[in-house]
Amino acid sequence: MQKIRAPFVFDESLNASFLAELFDGDTLYAETVFEDFLKDLPVYWQRVEAAYDSKNLPVLGTSVHTCKTLFGYVGFTDLQELCQQFENKCSVNSADELRVDYIILIQRKEKAQHVIEKEYARLRQFNESNG
Amino acid sequence: MGGHLCFRMKITCIIVEDIQIAADFLRKFCEKSDLVEVKGHFLNVADALAFLDQEKVDLLFLDVEMPGATGFDLLDSLTYSPKIILTTSKTEYAFDAFQYHVNDYLKKPFTYKRFLEAMQKLQQQFQEAAAPTAQPAAPAPSLISDTDFLFIKADDKLVKIKKDDILFLESMRDYVKFVTPAKSYITYSTLKNMEEKLIGPIFIKVHRSYIVNINKIDDIRGNTIYLLGNQIPIGKGHKEEVAARLNIL
Repeated sequence: MQKIRAPFVFDESLNASFLAELFDGDTLYAETVFEDFLKDLPVYWQRVEAAYDSKNLPVLGTSVHTCKTLFGYVGFTDLQELCQQFENKCSVNSADELRVDYIILIQRKEKAQHVIEKEYARLRQFNESNG
Repeated sequence: MGGHLCFRMKITCIIVEDIQIAADFLRKFCEKSDLVEVKGHFLNVADALAFLDQEKVDLLFLDVEMPGATGFDLLDSLTYSPKIILTTSKTEYAFDAFQYHVNDYLKKPFTYKRFLEAMQKLQQQFQEAAAPTAQPAAPAPSLISDTDFLFIKADDKLVKIKKDDILFLESMRDYVKFVTPAKSYITYSTLKNMEEKLIGPIFIKVHRSYIVNINKIDDIRGNTIYLLGNQIPIGKGHKEEVAARLNIL
């Protein structure tokens, strides 16, 4: 008798319904995307940090914009909204005024990174066990 | 909607996108649909323009915010009119997209379903553009050309225009404006198409968006051609040819 494969269920902090539509059951590709996310995010985030440190707000906005796009591909739609708000503030606020928002953004980004690390491990395990 | 649409042949495209994951998704969608052949992926505008100088494609998937130059900068530099699908995570560019006559606007990240919707819309546009040529008895799609005059499709009819009367032609992406002293006409075509049909002794392309009638030029000041109250810029890449054709001493 053929074994029925249970679908992969994404972490509840992610937009599961959107991810289900985005990957359309292709968990192997989801694994690749999550892996790429973990590889790419630190590179893009370095640009955010450098821009904030040098108080270059136009570049800070653009760099957060890039990270926002990246968060979307792993289902962090709420974090995308936070990034968008921060991005908007970059064009009207000073670096000092953005300090609190920046700290919140860092905290959310680190939490998100941790969730994706766990999801990536789960996806790998899921794909391995399903051959 | 089904997974595949019916095209006679694959649309060729390039992807201009600085985020690798986004580009990979798009490439995957193109391959899955079997509708679009990806000729290349470029991380910035300069590399994309260098490619387009060598090879023309039917469609550009174009991000807006990229390092160095934006997608709109690329559109300003194009020398022909491919179909454009903007791919961005900002909705604020919708007005600019409208201004640039882009064919569709995909907000990242987008699903395969949304991608197919865009391709279906594009398919309709390609079919509409090709429709007149499918009629066996019909003449050329939007222009009948003779030595002294031409017919263009405008205002729901074929309008006869004497070539001598044309002051200049202006590209409006998928349309071309014919300007005569009496009236202007807009027809569904590209400047490239008109260039092939009109370039000869009296017409010269002076800018990526303009072809002018040499006989109608009043004077040239700096990089601007003046003809009957109209000012036409001379593009950097056209200066030498303009100087040679106009016998500028």
